[in-house]
Order: sequence, then C-alpha cells, then structure tokens
Amino acid sequence: MMHERVLGALRDIVGSEFVADEDFVVYAYSRSNDPALPPRPPEYVVRPKSAEEVSAILTLANKKRLGVVPRGGGACLTGGSKPIQEGGIVLDLTRMNRILSIDEETMVVVAEAGITWAALNAALGEKGYWTGNLGPGSGMSATIGGGLSHHSVGGGGGAMFGPCTRNCAGLEVVLPTGALVHTGSWANTAATRPFGHFGGGPDLFAMFLGDNGLLGIKTKAVLNIYPKPKLHECKTFTIPAEGSDDRAAKILYDWRKQGSEVLYDAFYFHPLLTFGYTGGLAGVEGYKGFFDASGSPRNAGVLFYVAVADHEATLKANVKTLDAVMTKHGGEALGPEVANGNIARWFYEKDGHWMIFHGLWGCLGKRSIACTTEHVEPIWQFPLTNRALDRWAEDHREELALVNGISGAGHIMLADHFNVESDTGFITQNRPELREQNLKLWKSQAEFLAKQGVMYYMMGETLSLAMVDAKVFQGPYYDLLRALKRTLDPNGVLSPGKFRL
Amino acid sequence: MAKELTHLKTHEDAIYSCSRIGDCREAVMVSVGKYGVCPVYAHSPGFEAFYARGRLLVAQGLLEGAIEPSAALADVAYQCTTCGSCKWSCHMTFEPSVRLFCEQHIPDHTKIWEALRADLVESAIGPMPRHKEILAWMRQDHNPYNERHQNRRTWIPKGVDVPAAGKTLFFAGCTGAYRRPEMLQPLLRLAQTTRTPLAVSPDEWCCGSVASRTGDLPLASDLAQHNGQLFRQMGARTLITNCAGCYRTLKLEYPNLVEGYDFEVLHTTEWLNSLVQKGRLTFKPLNATVTYHDPCHLGRHSRIYDAPRALLHAIPRLNVVEMKRNREHAWCCGAGGGVKSAFPDLALKIGADRIHEALDTGAQYLVSACPFCKTNLQDAASAEAATLQVVDILELLGQTAKS
Repeated sequence: MMHERVLGALRDIVGSEFVADEDFVVYAYSRSNDPALPPRPPEYVVRPKSAEEVSAILTLANKKRLGVVPRGGGACLTGGSKPIQEGGIVLDLTRMNRILSIDEETMVVVAEAGITWAALNAALGEKGYWTGNLGPGSGMSATIGGGLSHHSVGGGGGAMFGPCTRNCAGLEVVLPTGALVHTGSWANTAATRPFGHFGGGPDLFAMFLGDNGLLGIKTKAVLNIYPKPKLHECKTFTIPAEGSDDRAAKILYDWRKQGSEVLYDAFYFHPLLTFGYTGGLAGVEGYKGFFDASGSPRNAGVLFYVAVADHEATLKANVKTLDAVMTKHGGEALGPEVANGNIARWFYEKDGHWMIFHGLWGCLGKRSIACTTEHVEPIWQFPLTNRALDRWAEDHREELALVNGISGAGHIMLADHFNVESDTGFITQNRPELREQNLKLWKSQAEFLAKQGVMYYMMGETLSLAMVDAKVFQGPYYDLLRALKRTLDPNGVLSPGKFRL
Repeated sequence: MAKELTHLKTHEDAIYSCSRIGDCREAVMVSVGKYGVCPVYAHSPGFEAFYARGRLLVAQGLLEGAIEPSAALADVAYQCTTCGSCKWSCHMTFEPSVRLFCEQHIPDHTKIWEALRADLVESAIGPMPRHKEILAWMRQDHNPYNERHQNRRTWIPKGVDVPAAGKTLFFAGCTGAYRRPEMLQPLLRLAQTTRTPLAVSPDEWCCGSVASRTGDLPLASDLAQHNGQLFRQMGARTLITNCAGCYRTLKLEYPNLVEGYDFEVLHTTEWLNSLVQKGRLTFKPLNATVTYHDPCHLGRHSRIYDAPRALLHAIPRLNVVEMKRNREHAWCCGAGGGVKSAFPDLALKIGADRIHEALDTGAQYLVSACPFCKTNLQDAASAEAATLQVVDILELLGQTAKS
C-alpha cells in the first residue's frame, strides 16, 4: 500500500511517464561504473523537469522517510549515482538540460544542472566561448550538476582553470527539506542577474560544491565563460622509463612554475600506462602512436602539454620555456601528428579530452574495468604515493592475482595550482563472482591511500566511506560535517549512507 | 523461471565489458559532427533502459537472474531501431590511430539487442503483437505485407522484358516490389541504358531482415536457406539490391546462415557508381539542391557512405548539401528494427527530427537509398507539413540519366 501511495504521489508531481518502478527499469540504476559494488536498485526512479518538482519530491521523501539519491549523467566511478542503502528514490536529473541564458555582459552561462558538459560547450562554442574547465573526462555523458558535486577535473583545462567548481559563479540548490536556495550573488534578491561566487558573508556556497550530493540537489548552475583562445600548441614527449615518476614530477613542477601563463593541460602517463595504451596488456590493437620505429610498444613515460594563447609572441615564448624544461629533464618530442604519438593534438583538437580516460577501460582485455582511487595531491607527492601503492600491490599480490588485477597509477594530470589529479586504482575483471573480492581490495587500497594523505574528490560510496573508515578526517571536521548534515537534512533523506552519514 | 537466455549468453563478455560511461546516451562531439546518439532515448521517457548503457545493465540483470523477462521489458526492448548509433558512440574516436578497446570487446551492440529479442521470442514473450502478424505473413507468403507471393514481379512494367534468372540478379526486396515500385522501375531503365542484363526472380523470398531484427531466427534462417539455394540454382554470381535492409542481410548475415555463400553483393549505389566511374552512365543537369540521408543499414552497419554521394555529385548542376549530422553520425529515420510497425508514433517523431534537419539545409529533395527510410521520412514530412520532397536516389538518377 505504501508503495502504491508513494508511486501515485510521485506521478502527481512529475507525471506518470516520468516515474518508474518496473523491476528492469530500476535495475538499470542499480550500479555505477565499478566492477565491485553489488547491484542495489532503487524502489523508484523519477525524472523531474524543474526545481519545483525536485522540491516536491524531497518534501514527499521527508514525509515518507524515503532515501533520495540525485543522479546526473550516471558516470560516477565510485558508486555515487545509485543507492547505498536499500530502496528509495533515484532522481535522474538529465531531463533538466536547458541553457537558460548566455550572458555576454557578465560572461556567465546559466544552465539547468542536467545538461552535459559537451552539450553546454557545443552551444557556447557557437558564440566563441567555453567554460575553460570542460568538466570530467566523461564530459560527453556527465552533467554539470554531477561535475560540480565532485570538483571534477580531467575533461580539459585542469591546469589552467583548476577543478570545475572554481569557475562556478552561482547555484540553485534544493535543500534536503525541499527548500529552494540560491547561492553566490544569486542570494541577493535585488540582483538582476547572477554574477559571482563571493560576498554576502560566510561562503555557504562552497559547501554545496564537491558535496557529492550530500547537502543539496543542484538544479541550476551559473558558470563563468571565457572566449576560446585563438592559438594553441600541442606537444607530446617521451621520458626514460627508469625513474620516470620522479622525472615527470620535476617536469610538471617546472612547467607549472615557468609556463603556466599558457599551460591549459599537462598529462603524464606512467610507462605501464603507455604500454597499456598500445594494447600490449590485452593483446589487442591500441594506440599506434605509442609504438616505436621497430614496431614495439614504447617502454617510456609519456608527457604532453596543451598551451593556449591569443597572441603568437606569448605562445611562442612560453612554448620555448616549456620545451626547454622538457629538454633539461631528458624528454624527447614525438612527431607533430596524432599518428606520430602526439596524443595532445587528439586531446585538444579532436575532443580526445573527453575520451582520454576511456583508454584504460578494457586495457586488460574483455570485462576489464577499474576500481578507481583517483585523488588529488601535491606534485611532489605523487611519486611517493606511487611507490607506496607498489608496496600495497606487493602486499596484496595474491588477492590481486585472484581477480587478474593490475594495480598502479594511470594518468597524472596537472590540476589545481601545484597539485595533480592522480588516477590510481586497480584494473580488474567485471564478473559477478569477483565482486566481493574486488570490493575488499578496493576498500583496502582506498583506505591505504587515504592514510598517505591524499584527498579524494569523486567519493561516491567507496571513497567517502574510505575517508571515514580510515579515520583520516580530523575529528572536529567530521563533527562539523555531521552537524551540517543534521541541520540541513534532519530526516537523513538525501544520499543516505555517503560519508557514513 | 524463464527459459534460459541462450542468445544473450553468447554475448556475455561484451555485456560485461561495458564501462558504463554513458556516451551512448546523447554524446556531442563537435570535432566530428556528432550531435546526439540514441534516437529512441531522445523520444522516450528517458530512463536508462531506453538506451544502450541501461540496456546492457538490464542484460546483466537478466543473465544474473536478478530480473526476469517480462512483457513490459519486451515493450522497451523492441523500442530500438537497431540503428547502430550506440556502437559508433562506444567505439568513437574517429581518429584512425587512436583506438578504444571497447571497439574490440563490444564489437556490435545491435547484435546484443537482437539476441535479447531472440530470447524473448523463444520465451514466447516477444515479439510485439504487430510483429507476430507480419512474421506469420512472411511464413505464409514470404513477404511482410500480406501480399500474394506470385505477385512479386508485378512491379515490372508491362512490356519490359526482364529475365527470371541470370548471372547478375537484382534482388528487388519486398518493400520495393510490393509497396514502392516507383523506386525500382528507374533501375530497369538504367540497366537498359548501360546494357546490363539484370535478372529478377519470381521465386525471391523476403531476405529475412524483419525476422532477424525482431528475433525470429528460425524464420530468418529458413528464408536465407531458400534464397541461397535460389541464387545457386540460377547460377547467379552478383546480387544487386536497392534496399538497405536487404543489403545488410545479404551481405553481412547470409554468409553466417548459408553454407558456401560466396556471391558478390552490391547495393545499387555501388553498382551504378562503378558504371559512372567507367563512363557508362552519365546524367543530364538538374538545377536543384538535395541532401542525402544515410540509411542505418547501409551506412553505420555496412559502411557505404561514399557511393551514393558520388552519384549525386555526378549529376551536373545538382547542389549537394550535407545535413548537420551525416555518415556515422546520421540521425536514424526512425523506421528500423520493427519500430515503424510496432511503434509508429515513435518512428514518426524520430523521422520528424530528420525532416527538420533536412529543411535546415534548404534542400528541395531529401534523398535516401532505402525504401523503409523513404516511407517513414515521407510520412514524417507529411505529418510536419514539410515542403521538401522525399525521394529515393534511384528516382533521381532515373530522372536525370542520359539514354
């Protein structure tokens, strides 16, 4: 009876067409991208069209004490876009995908949170603009709401613009109780248009950025927009395999220090990842550019940069600096074309920035998918973390062998200031019978790395629990988080279970 | 417990190789002209189960026994035009030297959707009621239109002498023969002009595409066996067809269904383009603007993109313009995979998208190379009160060919 009453109420809110409780429909929302977490279908899936509908659903959820999980593009790698606990409602927000205004005076775009990064930037591109940071590596599927909930970085522009949240100038958020709030300059009811993040007292805005859907549901976002640069240069280099992490860290540090005026993106591939890209790990054909002249996969680290500028002199001078850094550290440039190995050109000119991470999936053969422990850390720390991760892998050699897994670091990319986003994790087999073992290993690695001092950002289920279970959150900080959660969400309806809250 | 999902199980590795990133939903990739992926998702309630990523997770749930096949599930499983756009989204880089591994691990998504339908048919849950009627007609009269088999050659105008057997066989297909004779008749004139002896057999049966798409694999196999034997008996070496669905079936599926199948299979556009290249076929000028719609069976499934375009460019003064989405990224017409017969409203909505895209080019003619595309696009153009004419490429070529 309760089920039918809730179903009827949800249908009243959004219309029958956009509420589902059929077993196979809800099952399609039971898992994220990982090969570890058990399927947990929600009881209902709802596709609202407006903030008012989201608000009404949360009001209902509070009355009925139902858990609600907001979901954008569903590309979360850590179990964030499906229920952590049994049943409840998944709110699929992809129907809310309109661009509401492109304000060329204020240079901001206002869009509904369910639009994808790719669709938004395609529309902006027609006017010569972009969002600078282009969201996560899954930006053709991921929504701006999801990206802002994760501090996403990796889909382009990380070195120049940092995480996408840095460019967010306002949010419309439905609080867990159903109240609708606007943040940043949008909180001033007299302001005719939203224009910026700061001001108005304590930065309440920031608590909704990177919240992993814990404190509110983003329904609209204001993002800064920028004219697309007129010029660019893309170059890819190899560095010797031996000591490549340490060498790459020095290069990224020097690049950041000396050439950041034009540095739009900078990526490093560990030699194992270079080999993986060729298809060598799976025995299949992969990226041709990473083979050497003799036809063998390169045994080398690979770095690339994308530099952008509006003036040729600026670009030339900075490129000279960037190249000099590379030469100083023993790097060798690959040819200019993508086929020569210049993957940077594919990355920047051909939308490769939204596919660069796809090269990891399947790199160990059929069914191989990553359990990610991707995180942020200082440039200087990533070689140390990678060595620590090697020790973890050695300690778990037998368990990894059970799942045919390989542990290590994937892409390392320059992110915010002198920090990198590091794609650590292990690649394993997506088989139902291995889920339990995969999950055990995943938790172990996630807690291990948390204790190395790294910070997770796309935390979903696994990594948010790892931070808590590893007891690395400072006590008063976690108390503050819990108090905030209780205040905003007294019935605990929103994203129940994340961060063990 | 439902019948074992034997067909789906053969794709188990592919189903579990999905990385669930979701680019198959609505990816936009400006650098290559991709604007959207799944036409059904675009016109459905939009739940995950309506596009590839969700369908693959549903398939996992079925294989694990977490969910059971049902009529409601079948209703969604059959809402797919099998256009193959999801495959080209999953495999995309469109950069020859950068390959994604999913291309090798999930080679063809459409085969998975068709395998699920085959299992639903074997469990007596599928196909859709309208498909059941059509398949019954195909068993009885070897065509999906409830027409008498002996009328298969009535599309040939009186007085035109077309042999019933020969080395080069024109496989007319059911839609052209029974519903769209105006599409086929120009071919006879073109054959005459180029002095190419074409045979049309009265014993041709439906190629079986409809049966394959809707999951009736035994019927598809029966039809293929008959046609394979027919081609051999008449000593055919080359098969030419104007239907994109027949082409895909004869070219890509028959080799797996018919033992010793070694015929050359050409789409009319490939054959006519070869005649143009040899200088055996030339055209009179036509002052018009046209845009070409890539049929999914011919384009994404069979990789024939250039021949139809080359033919259009061979017509003097014809202004050929591209729609925003073309080739691998072309939006489906909406008719395929049994959608036109079982979900006509959905087919029309998808077709309307394409009509508006064609109108945006300013073209007077929307040209395709498939009778299903022509029919649905024409229906959509009528529904949208669009002024442009929907024609098959053969009609345009027949109209302009120099005798």
